[in-house]
Amino acid sequence: MQQPRRQFLWNIGGGLGGLAAAQMLAGESMSAGADTRADFGGGLHHPAKVRRVIQLFMTGGASPMDTFDYKPELERLHGQKLGPAEKPEGFTAPPGAIMKSPFAFKQHGESGRWVSSVFPHQAQEVDEMAFLMAMVSKTNVHGPATYMMNSGFLLPGFPSLGAWISYGLGNLTEELPTFVVLPDAKGLPYNQKGPFSSGFLSAVHQGTVIRAGSDRPVRDLFANDRYGFATSQADRDGFELLGKLGANHAGNDPNDSRLDARIRSYELAARMQLSAPEAFDLSRETAATHQAYGVDNPVTQDFARRCMMARRLVERGTRFVQVWSGPQGATGNWDNHGSIPNELPPIAASVDQPIAALIRDLRSRGLFEDTLLIWTTEFGRTPFAQGGDGRDHNGGSFVTWLAGAGIKAGTSYGQSDDWGYQAAEGKSYCYDFHATVLHLLGIDHKRLTFRQNGIDRRLTDVHGHVIHEVLA
Amino acid sequence: MVRLATRPLAVWPGLALLLAAVLDPSAVALAQDPSAGDRFFTEQIEPLLRSKCFSCHSHQAGETAGSLTLDSQSGWSVGGERGPAIVVHKPEESLLIEAVRYTHDDLQMPPEEKLSEQEIKLLVRWVTEGAPDPRPAVQPEPRGDPIDWWSLQPLQRPEVPGIQSASGETLSPIDAFIEQKLGEAGLSPVPRADRRKLIRRLFFDLHGLPPTPDEVAAFVNDPDPAADANLVDRLLQSPRYGERWARHWLDTVHFADSHGCEHDVLRPNAWRYRDYVIDSFNRDTPWPRFIREQLAADHFYPEETQLIAALGFIAAGPLELSRAGTAPVTFDYLDRDDMVTQTMAAFASTTANCARCHDHKFDPITQQDYYSLQAVFAGIGKGDVDFDADPMVARQRQRWSDLLASASRNDSAVLLAPEHAAMVQAWESKQGSQSAIWQTLVPSTFLSTNHSTLTRLDDHSILASGTRPDQDTYTFTAAVDLAKLSALRLDVLSDERLPMQGPGRQDNGNLHLTEFEALVFDPQADEPTPVKFRQAVADWDQEGWTISHALDGDVKTAWGIHPKVGQSHHAVFELEHPLELKASSRIVVVLKQLHGGGHLIGRFKLYATDGDHATATVVPESVAAALKLPQDQRSPEQRTAIAAHAVAMHAQQQLDALPMPATVYAASDRYSHANKLDQPQTPKVVHVLKRGNIDRPGEVALPGAMSVIPTIPGRFELQDVNDESERRAALADWLASRDNPLSWRSVVNRVWAYHFGRGLCETPNDLGRMGGEVSHPELLDHLAVWFRDDAKGSIKQLHRAILLSQAYQRDSSSLPHDQFTEHRSRDPQNRLLWRANRRPLDAESYRDTVLQLSGRIDWTMGGPGIQQFTLTKGPQATPELDYDAFDWDAPQAARRSIYRVVWRGIADPFMESLDFPDLGLLAPKRNMSISALQALAMFNNDFVLHHSQVLAERLQSEQESLDQQVAAACKLIYQREPEADELAMLQQYATKHGLAATCRILFNSNEFVFID
Repeated sequence: MQQPRRQFLWNIGGGLGGLAAAQMLAGESMSAGADTRADFGGGLHHPAKVRRVIQLFMTGGASPMDTFDYKPELERLHGQKLGPAEKPEGFTAPPGAIMKSPFAFKQHGESGRWVSSVFPHQAQEVDEMAFLMAMVSKTNVHGPATYMMNSGFLLPGFPSLGAWISYGLGNLTEELPTFVVLPDAKGLPYNQKGPFSSGFLSAVHQGTVIRAGSDRPVRDLFANDRYGFATSQADRDGFELLGKLGANHAGNDPNDSRLDARIRSYELAARMQLSAPEAFDLSRETAATHQAYGVDNPVTQDFARRCMMARRLVERGTRFVQVWSGPQGATGNWDNHGSIPNELPPIAASVDQPIAALIRDLRSRGLFEDTLLIWTTEFGRTPFAQGGDGRDHNGGSFVTWLAGAGIKAGTSYGQSDDWGYQAAEGKSYCYDFHATVLHLLGIDHKRLTFRQNGIDRRLTDVHGHVIHEVLA
Repeated sequence: MVRLATRPLAVWPGLALLLAAVLDPSAVALAQDPSAGDRFFTEQIEPLLRSKCFSCHSHQAGETAGSLTLDSQSGWSVGGERGPAIVVHKPEESLLIEAVRYTHDDLQMPPEEKLSEQEIKLLVRWVTEGAPDPRPAVQPEPRGDPIDWWSLQPLQRPEVPGIQSASGETLSPIDAFIEQKLGEAGLSPVPRADRRKLIRRLFFDLHGLPPTPDEVAAFVNDPDPAADANLVDRLLQSPRYGERWARHWLDTVHFADSHGCEHDVLRPNAWRYRDYVIDSFNRDTPWPRFIREQLAADHFYPEETQLIAALGFIAAGPLELSRAGTAPVTFDYLDRDDMVTQTMAAFASTTANCARCHDHKFDPITQQDYYSLQAVFAGIGKGDVDFDADPMVARQRQRWSDLLASASRNDSAVLLAPEHAAMVQAWESKQGSQSAIWQTLVPSTFLSTNHSTLTRLDDHSILASGTRPDQDTYTFTAAVDLAKLSALRLDVLSDERLPMQGPGRQDNGNLHLTEFEALVFDPQADEPTPVKFRQAVADWDQEGWTISHALDGDVKTAWGIHPKVGQSHHAVFELEHPLELKASSRIVVVLKQLHGGGHLIGRFKLYATDGDHATATVVPESVAAALKLPQDQRSPEQRTAIAAHAVAMHAQQQLDALPMPATVYAASDRYSHANKLDQPQTPKVVHVLKRGNIDRPGEVALPGAMSVIPTIPGRFELQDVNDESERRAALADWLASRDNPLSWRSVVNRVWAYHFGRGLCETPNDLGRMGGEVSHPELLDHLAVWFRDDAKGSIKQLHRAILLSQAYQRDSSSLPHDQFTEHRSRDPQNRLLWRANRRPLDAESYRDTVLQLSGRIDWTMGGPGIQQFTLTKGPQATPELDYDAFDWDAPQAARRSIYRVVWRGIADPFMESLDFPDLGLLAPKRNMSISALQALAMFNNDFVLHHSQVLAERLQSEQESLDQQVAAACKLIYQREPEADELAMLQQYATKHGLAATCRILFNSNEFVFID
């Protein structure tokens, strides 16, 4: 019975022909084109190099020139008032003087990549990464920028990357959700659940929020204890009874595949009840693993736990896992308006060791064979000081890195200007980034579409070029 | 082609520019050595184009990208969808050069890889030299007639096929059209559904609720041949109908109770639009009127003030709350884009939004049309709008406000008019009899913020002396010995020690009281109560510095007394509602004097009273003087002054007595960055944005709609371009026009889609070339014309016609197997409607049904939304919602789903799992998903488990034995008697796990979740 979900849906969709399939899948299997193909390694349009993805998202706009984008020119010009005189659209304040990074930069690895002192652990893994050094956003505002990095549009209602992947490729296992979201324990990101919405795609594709460290990590996986009648035996007998009642009812119409699909969905639910708790149980990891990720350290604990869970999930077949660093709001995230030297080091330290550990773990378990790890944020920050020593929003240039399957490790693409203010060459939008991720998954971003209000919508809108420079 | 010539040339920019190029003699003159130019082209340019461009941009390529071909001269000169590719001699203005230079992100050619600098230089040189191109001109293929598309054709009543049913009866037009197609396909329809199926289907369709077992029994046994029609009528008359159908419309227009986006804050007044929609469906508002009300009720029906709630339509979509501070221009365009998209999709099923960056690629909507539609909404603000839900009250309010305005203008024509004489006389006769007893407030503490020296005098007044700061605030505390507080009085007293003898400290004796505030401290309470004032009256107001400025919360305005200095004045501040005072209460009065320049109060005294209408006791000096004269000795000015005061006092009292206005989150011609729309504005100028880019504004767009429809003008002739509502009214008229081919088709198709689970055209929001195919075009046209002309836009009549058709009433299951195979192969999707479509319950129907069956449903209608979550403060403006923490026994927990607060960005996860849509975008139809996560939600969510328990308790109280209880559960939930084997299974399960567990299983079963 371990057929891929898409195959399963295809079968039941085929039962009564168009109507059943169209209604159940909201017309989508039709427009997504062919089923995934075994000879493409599970790809849709061409052979896939990647089958699963972990996305790390730094909420608030991680500062490029204080992390990965070394700008010696800022040291020379430090303190000079050279920025725009007027407040550009999307800045929260008029720009101040040029500000050098307060952190020391060093070259690391064989690739000689410059990394600042806030990321000592990731610095040891730069040879695994390929950097997009000149990412740009169309906006300097958190909400729209967060939508953009996730869905390609500035406004709500559009499906996110994970939802499109779920829609295009389906799952690798029936026992876990296809798209899982692990938000920061301190809260949801900007736009709340918008960044992992399925938008106009069916709700099946939306990100399932898992509350790591909670007693009930998946909502409604089991009944609340207060309902004494919902015992596990009642569940098991109930699933069986539902099958029998369904057979009675469907006896009238054995050809309506949706009836069967619903009955099967309870069988899958039962399987998920058995498998999911194991997947979410971090105590099954060794003490050494806990220590490597930093679960024992209060600074790294929350992010470490979620990185570890992300690995457990992809290992067990979750297709796409999104791990968020920082909630929305003015504190506890990467939105360091107040002070780069005071605000950036703690948030950087909270993710650095867990990320490095995740890379090593994925590598040592062989998961990098078909897993892609990506590090993203919604925009960068200004080379100009804000207030004393903070930095304002800047969609002009920021850094993303990719690692794992299909990636040309140790490379970089694009370059910001001497201040790190604007992209200078190899400018990449979210469209290019998304096109590249889909490409690795065996999807042509131009052919993964869904017709909505008269437009064949794509994750990449009408844009997007695969960035072959960072692909192996 | 006559039609083509009458259309604006702008629609064909390519053609226009081609003509311009042909007529420009320089284009010929500059090619001095044509043969050299030709050689340059053939040797260098053509090979380049061939290798880099032809694969997408040639006739050989088949489908040409962007409709641009480069394999002929006319190809580049006519250009593609973006216009001509080349402006000869002008590389900087040529799209081709722009594209190869990768100047703009949305036009980069070739897309795979940028040309080399050398190649780009070649192309630039070629264009600069006049783009010599010796290739023979290929006649461009004429573009088809732009309105050659079914939904754009004028509506005409098609002839109804004269077909009789198998039993010889005359078919209704709907059935005649459907039978005709079935006959052509050689298919016969399945028989009619049995009455139990039919009543269940009708109830869910019209109410989103199941029938009770008694209703089923009555209908099944009803011998009346008109039983169906009677049932349909009864269902349409019930208010449950509006509650059900409003939800469809709210989905269509992406209505929610919060902004969405980053700062997803509640719109506490949005629900009035929801109630308006429910009411409109229940009243069966004719469709053209429904259009006009929602777009411009203020314009069309100014007397019917309750209809202001309809304008919630325009503001239904999301809002980025930070827009003013972050990216105002961007969000302005995006916000209007949302309004345009919604209006055109909801009423005309047209995707106008596809023309934002370029002319619509498939439908005849130009970019100019699109920005003309934006211009319709260019004077709109989204926010809270006050209105009178009762038009009578509105008329009163208008009358008294007008009179108050006349009084403040000293308009003697109005004030001295005979109809107001009695009012004035009544006021004058009461003079002298009205007096309030003022209790002096004896100061216990008094402080100056800015170091004035405040001294208490023997009469309990306070004198300011010492340094004279620029601004100051006096804080004054006193015990107040009254059981009730209704007004405060401030005397500003003249004093020899003050400049010009005061009462102010400014050199000229003036003062400016910016704000007058008060707090009451109840000895038992932890927090003081701020005092709210209704109005203030002073014996003298400096021109432009009236006493009302001391209550307006605006620090830029204040009360002054210049030039009447050297004498005392007083002002009375009346509370909004008298305040009951506990014994030993204290009062704090704050006198803010922030105007600057030392405009400070020199000496003052405060009083309190419990008397009513204390302000009435304040008579301005001029009036007081006039009153002393006998009536026949008063000058006309004096008579006007008395009348103005008397009328103002009376009008204000009348206004105060009116009920508070209602508030709706809607649109108006005002704007605000706060909640309440109160800042006047004139409509903004909207530009046609090149490529939709705000940095590239083109020509100004004037209000209009689609220009392609010959019978209705696409640009509006407005009497006053600054009259905001006229723009919306013009669009409403355009949409509601009987000649609009889209609107009528749109609405009948939409209603059909909800009844059959699929429209005659599959895409309810898009009848254009990208929309779905139409299964029965003549039927759709018949319905549209009939709905417009015969049914006069009545949705209820449309329901009747559809629901009483044989097509609707067919059984949903397949035929006996052999026949089914044949039907399936000929019409697998049941497009020809040989049977009914089985449909799953949507989220609301599921939820409301569970509530009804458990016996808990609360039929209260209307009012503020029910918050089915707990709400705590979030890190930013958006709160945190916990849906799991909601107590299902809470009051109002059992209200119908339509009354839930729908938080746009933080949806109820249970409803979401049942495919409640993401209302960031329009949701013309629901997705229907089936997944393990959905199964888990239906199996384990608190809502289902809680109500399984409640239903079990209900059954236990009604039935004796467990077996009877199980049978009753089955009857309630399935609306039928259980079969023996079914009952046995259920009873066995109930014996082992209890009745609540059994109800839970039934609530999860296919038969409950699907409507046959």
